[in-house]
Amino acid sequence: MASTDDWRRQFTKYKEDVKERGKPFYPYAMFHDTVMSLVVVSVIIGVTCVWYFTSGEDPSSCGSGHSCLLGPRYSDPADPATTNFVPRPDWYFYFLFYLLRIFKWPDSVILGTVGIPTIALIIAFMLPFFDRRMERRLTRRPVAVIGAILVVLSMGVLTYKGATAHEALASEVVGAVPTWAQREGFAGNAEAIAGAKIFASSGCTACHTYLGTGSSNQGAPDLSAEGSKGRDKQFFTSYIRDPSKFGNNVMPKFGFSDQQLGQLAAFLLASKGPK
Amino acid sequence: MAVAARNKKSARRRQLEAAINYPIDWLEERSGLVGGIKYFIFRKVPGDTNWFHTLGSATLTAFLVQALTGAILAMYYKPDPQSAYQSIQHITNDITLGWLVRGMHKWGASVFIILMFFHMARVFLFGAYKYPRELNWIIGVMLLAIGMLEGFTGYLLPWDQTAYWATVVGINLNGTAPFLGPFLADFLRGGAEIGGETISRFYAMHMLLIPGLIFALIGLHLYLVIRLGVTSPPWSSAAAGSEAAGEEPRTNGRSGLTQPAARSGWRRNGGEG
Repeated sequence: MASTDDWRRQFTKYKEDVKERGKPFYPYAMFHDTVMSLVVVSVIIGVTCVWYFTSGEDPSSCGSGHSCLLGPRYSDPADPATTNFVPRPDWYFYFLFYLLRIFKWPDSVILGTVGIPTIALIIAFMLPFFDRRMERRLTRRPVAVIGAILVVLSMGVLTYKGATAHEALASEVVGAVPTWAQREGFAGNAEAIAGAKIFASSGCTACHTYLGTGSSNQGAPDLSAEGSKGRDKQFFTSYIRDPSKFGNNVMPKFGFSDQQLGQLAAFLLASKGPK
Repeated sequence: MAVAARNKKSARRRQLEAAINYPIDWLEERSGLVGGIKYFIFRKVPGDTNWFHTLGSATLTAFLVQALTGAILAMYYKPDPQSAYQSIQHITNDITLGWLVRGMHKWGASVFIILMFFHMARVFLFGAYKYPRELNWIIGVMLLAIGMLEGFTGYLLPWDQTAYWATVVGINLNGTAPFLGPFLADFLRGGAEIGGETISRFYAMHMLLIPGLIFALIGLHLYLVIRLGVTSPPWSSAAAGSEAAGEEPRTNGRSGLTQPAARSGWRRNGGEG
C-alpha cells in the first residue's frame, strides 16, 4: 500500500521522464496506431466478404450449395406465433446465456441474470480501489495474474459452452414421444399424447428437459414429473397461456390455441414421473 | 540579376506563406484549436510505447466504423415490424455495396467488443488503472457495459427470428431483476408484447441515446489519456516514472494540460505565422 505522496512523487517522475526521454506521438506512436487501425478495418471488411460470399440469399439455403461459413445473411422473418425457434443471443452474451443453464428457475435464476453480472461489474468498477499497490510488474502481482487467468478461463469456458450447447431439433424430439408415453404411462391418453407432440415440436425442449431430452436453458425446470406436484389442468392451462401472471417473466407467452393449451395441460398432468 | 530574381521569388514565397498561415492564425487566435491539435500530435509519449498501446485507438477505429456504417444503414432501414425485414433484405441484396455496409456493421460490432476486451486486458496487465488513472478505468468499464447494451439493442433491428426470440428472452431476463426489473422490461418492450413500439424504442436507443453516450465517454476517456499520458510496459527497464522512491518531488503544482507547454499557442510552439 503506497501513500498518496508516493503516488504523486511517482507521477511527477513519470512526467519528467516522458518529457526528457519520451518520443513525440507523431510520427512514432501514430505510425503504430495507423497500421493497427488499417488492420482492424481490413479484418472487418475481410470477415464481411467471407460472410457474404459464402451465404445464399435465401435463409433456408444454408447447407445446400452454400457453405455459410459465418451463418446466413438473415434468418426467417420474425414471427411471434412460431414456437419452435431456439432463442440465441449474440456471441458476446453466450457466457450469460450459459450461466442461466447453471442456475435453475425460480429459486436461483436471479443469481445468473442479475446477481453474478452485477457483482462482476461492481468488481470491475472498483478494481483501482481494491488494488492500491504501486507494483506493476506481473511477476510481483500474483493475485492479479491468477485473477485474470480465472476470469479469462471462466468467460472462455462459458462462451464456448454457450456456443456449442446442443439444441435438440424438434423433428428428433417428436420421435421420442411414444417412448415418453410408455415410460410415463400415458400411452392410452390420446389428449396427453397430442400434448406431448406439441411439447416436442414447439421448441419447449430448447429450455426444458423431459426424461433426459432437451436442454436446460434460462433456468427452465425439468418437466418429467410435473404432474405429480398436485396441480390441476386449469393451472397448467393458464400458466402456459401467460407465465408472467405467475411471476415467471423469463418464459415467453406463446401463441397456443385453447385446444393446444388443453392438450399441453393434459400432457403435463399425465407426467407423473418415469415408472 | 540572379540575386534580384531570388529576392523576387522569396518575396512571392513569403506572400504564399502568409496566405496559407492567415486562416490558421485566424482560427488559433479565436479558438486556440491549432495549438491544441499541435499539442496532441507532438506531445511526448514514453519512449517504450509499443504495439500493445495501439489497442485503444484500434477500438476507437472500430467504433468509428460502426458510427459511419450505422449512419448509412439508417438512410435505408425502416424501423417498424411491417417493413424492417424487407428493408434489411433490400439493403443486403439491392443497394450498391449495401451488403458491405451492413456486413461491416454486423461484424464490426463483434470486432468492437473483442477489441474492448483486449484493450481492457492490456490496461489490466500493465497495471495502468492505478493512480492517477483510476477514473479512466471506470469510464472504460462504463464504455464496455454500454457497448454491450448497444449490441443488445442492435440485435433486434433486423427483425428476423434470431433477433426476435433473442430479444424476447433478453427482455424477460431483465424482468427478473428485483424491484426495477419488471419496470425495465415494460420500458424496453413499450407495452405488453414485443412489436412496433419495441422496435422504435430500440432503434432510438441504438441510434441516438447509446451512441451519444459512447461518444461523450470516449471524448472524456481520450481527454484523460492525453492529460495523464500512457503507462510504460511494466517490464520495460526504462519505464517512465520507475524508481520514484526517495526522489524529491519537483513539481510546480501544475500538471497535464495546465502546464505552460501544454497551453502554449501556435506561435510559441515554433510556428512562424
